[in-house]
Amino acid sequence: MNWVVNQLAGLWGWVDNRLPVQKAWDTHMGKYYAPKNFNFWYFFGVLSLLVLVNQLVTGIWLTMSYTPTAEAAFASVEYIMRDVEYGDLLRYMHSTGASAFFVVVYLHMFRGLMYGSYKSPRELVWIFGMTIYLVLMAEAFMGYVLPWGQMSYWGAQVIVSLFGAIPVIGEDLVQWIRGDYLISGITLNRFFALHVVALPIVLLALVVMHILALHDKHVGSNNPDGVEIKKHKDENGIPLDGVPFHPYYTVHDLVGISVFLFVFCFIMFFMPEMGGFFLEKANFEEANNLKTPLHIAPVWYFTPFYAVLRAVTMEIGPLNAKFLGFVAMAAAIAILFVLPWLDRSKVKSIRYRGWIARVMLMSFAAMFVVLGYLGVQAPTEGRTLLSQIATVFYFAYFVTMPVWTTPDLAKAKSKLSFVLCGVFAVIFAAMTVSYIKADVPALLLGFCVFLTVIFAVLPLLASRDHVLVEPERVQAKGLPLHIVLGGLALFLILMIVPIKAVANTGAFDCGAVPCDKMEVNLHDKESLQRGAKYFTNYCMGCHSAKYSRFGRVAEDLEIPPELMEGNLILGGQRSGQLMEIAMRPAQAKVWFGVAPPDLSLVTRVRSPEWVYTYLRNFYKDDARPWGVNNRVFPNVGMPHVLIGPQGLQECGPGPKLNHHGHAARNTIGELEVDEHCGGLVEGSIKGTMKKEEFDQAAYDLVNFMAYLAEPGALKREEMGKRVLFFILIFAACAFFLNKEFWRNIH
Amino acid sequence: MSNDVVNKTRRNLLIGATTAVGAVGAVGIAVPFVGSWNPSAKAKAAGAPVKFNMSKIEPGAMVTVEWRGKPVYVLRRTPEALASLKKVEEFGFIRDPKSEVPQQPKYAQNEARAIKEEFAILLGVCTHLGCSPLYRPDVGAADLGGDKWQGGFFCPCHGSKYDLAGRVYVGVPAPTNLEVPKHYYESESVVIIGEDQGA
Repeated sequence: MNWVVNQLAGLWGWVDNRLPVQKAWDTHMGKYYAPKNFNFWYFFGVLSLLVLVNQLVTGIWLTMSYTPTAEAAFASVEYIMRDVEYGDLLRYMHSTGASAFFVVVYLHMFRGLMYGSYKSPRELVWIFGMTIYLVLMAEAFMGYVLPWGQMSYWGAQVIVSLFGAIPVIGEDLVQWIRGDYLISGITLNRFFALHVVALPIVLLALVVMHILALHDKHVGSNNPDGVEIKKHKDENGIPLDGVPFHPYYTVHDLVGISVFLFVFCFIMFFMPEMGGFFLEKANFEEANNLKTPLHIAPVWYFTPFYAVLRAVTMEIGPLNAKFLGFVAMAAAIAILFVLPWLDRSKVKSIRYRGWIARVMLMSFAAMFVVLGYLGVQAPTEGRTLLSQIATVFYFAYFVTMPVWTTPDLAKAKSKLSFVLCGVFAVIFAAMTVSYIKADVPALLLGFCVFLTVIFAVLPLLASRDHVLVEPERVQAKGLPLHIVLGGLALFLILMIVPIKAVANTGAFDCGAVPCDKMEVNLHDKESLQRGAKYFTNYCMGCHSAKYSRFGRVAEDLEIPPELMEGNLILGGQRSGQLMEIAMRPAQAKVWFGVAPPDLSLVTRVRSPEWVYTYLRNFYKDDARPWGVNNRVFPNVGMPHVLIGPQGLQECGPGPKLNHHGHAARNTIGELEVDEHCGGLVEGSIKGTMKKEEFDQAAYDLVNFMAYLAEPGALKREEMGKRVLFFILIFAACAFFLNKEFWRNIH
Repeated sequence: MSNDVVNKTRRNLLIGATTAVGAVGAVGIAVPFVGSWNPSAKAKAAGAPVKFNMSKIEPGAMVTVEWRGKPVYVLRRTPEALASLKKVEEFGFIRDPKSEVPQQPKYAQNEARAIKEEFAILLGVCTHLGCSPLYRPDVGAADLGGDKWQGGFFCPCHGSKYDLAGRVYVGVPAPTNLEVPKHYYESESVVIIGEDQGA
């Protein structure tokens, strides 16, 4: 035993004499002294690193099964989701990880803004960080193109077209980026190379620089008090308020990591689409260069800048709105780089800054979120105004920063200060005037007037503000609770009230009617089996489900293989095969006007409710080629296939619906009646099923299609429960371990 | 303070517990990454057993069936062909006449190397270096030794020879008989290649 230990020690010495392993460990972990007063905001750095590792590893694994060609990319993603063992997990780890990356990076950046972490001597740390953020955006954008769905395609189209705004060289530049006259497989191929090889290398290099710049012996971590711990050292040169990163912050971070993993896994296992924010619905439809989706929006993490882009609607001389929007968007990112020189404050942390700085920061955060919200919404006049207010505020925050962070605030009343703030007062005033007659919420105009006044007098306000005295050493406690809660309240009000003012109105989820409720139940095997039967009998004559395999369906739904082969598999296919059909798309297009779409993913592109409502809303309409029309999908090319069981409904009077989908009432409170097609009534062609029977059949069919859209969903959720349980155990261990180590740190 | 003294036992216990749970977690995380390297449903579907109807083949003819991307030779042997199996054995041409090397399932370890002696089912992959041997039923072919050639398979790559049951000749580079893949008869004439009965 001793001999082994001696040998290992010898080997270690041999390596360490040739490679600075011990030195590296000491510099970054064992003897890296971090301030002992970190709060939870300091978890987001290590979490970014964790997510980066997740993205690298899952990304490498995904490339093993992904095909980067226009013809095969979409199918290969579904192949990963369905055919590769644990492929769905790997894909969701990567897609959820992409959003998680931005969540933690945004919070990490906000932490920096709050505690002045970008100020001297950490300017380079901030600049490397901002560069990471920039590269991350490019990385995420190119990654989003790879699944080759509709959003991938049209997102790429829009973002690449942005460069066309650059005068003179724009159009040639766009063509050069695409390598084609449109976004094509060629573009996909180069984005793939950049996404999986080039940008990750750049990203890793930048992360190393970011950390090296932070761990430099003259720099070190900032802390919530914003005071330098290196000013007060003991006789050994160790900061009095510092603790070695390892073990104190390694065990501390374990707690943060386990909480993060719990949230991450919850989303990944139970809501990987995150309501369309992480994976957009339209992206479950394969890219089509001839058809733009009705509503296109970037993924949530780009939307603040997308909203800035759209907010610019004015023209200045020869410069059109397209170009100015591009400039505004680029400037919104660029201005972050010079932040260390805009902030003139002598204190770093929000804890000791004046009131204006505190209110400004919370308002800025709220406006950023408002921009993010607006970026996913279709523009209306009110929303455009709000996005303009938020955009101008975004820039005003940075440009007027020197005024309200002047070291001696009493001297903020310089001429330059009035000019800097006055410019924004004028812009807000101009906006008020130009929108005064428009159809926008009065609240927004009021907000505009308020901001005009605030910015006009900002230098005066600043001169009356004062900065608190920084302590010499770090403190154990932060701002009083009422101030923290007040800040949070300010943030929430400024975020929610404007959003509510321009919130969604009108437009039903299901065409001319609101969607009928239906809840998918993948545990109901009998319903799924019946659904499978209806699907193969009624749908697969014209529609394929080409990403799915007969054998998998039989296995998952507990249909005996013989029964599956005998009754469900038509046309002599084998059970392992994909559920393809014999009808060729070209022929189908001649017969129906459009080729019947593949149904593998239809409930993810639409929603189960939509399909359920659609199937039950066919009605007689002799003006249409098949003699039928549909209230959910007007003028659809599909005949009423379920006419046998359902019969043919006809239009009849029914309650008129208001914008919210409720029955409308006239001024004296009576129900209004829509004579034309407010309801559907039984017609002369009767079905073989009663209404309830047919509703059940439609339910079974849609339930089955929901299964078909993601066959692994049930298994994933079961696994998720076990994973979450395990993380709880780990979190408990980490919690007590952390407590044990920090017991003696005061 | 009294608890300023580190309680070593408690600390070690907590370190041990966290490390152990963390290690289990690490193994758990590895599962999907390791598991994803197994053959996918697509590979399995492509490698699934294949069904073939023997009645389609003329006596003396050979059909190539694809299974797991490899050629499977299905040969309908005439009475003369079956008689030739005895002849080559008598001449001493065959290295392993009793099929002792396990190149076939138990149920095909007989002289004809088949369940039904009329039908030979052989993997068309030369046991030397993996080329596909040619079907040469032409008895007495001049290029294959004239009168001595009783019909069989000839590998064009390195000249290995097999008889009509896929048994390898002596004095050729191939070491063993052609492999007989797993198979069973679903009915009188329909064979399933790639799977034992009841699998």
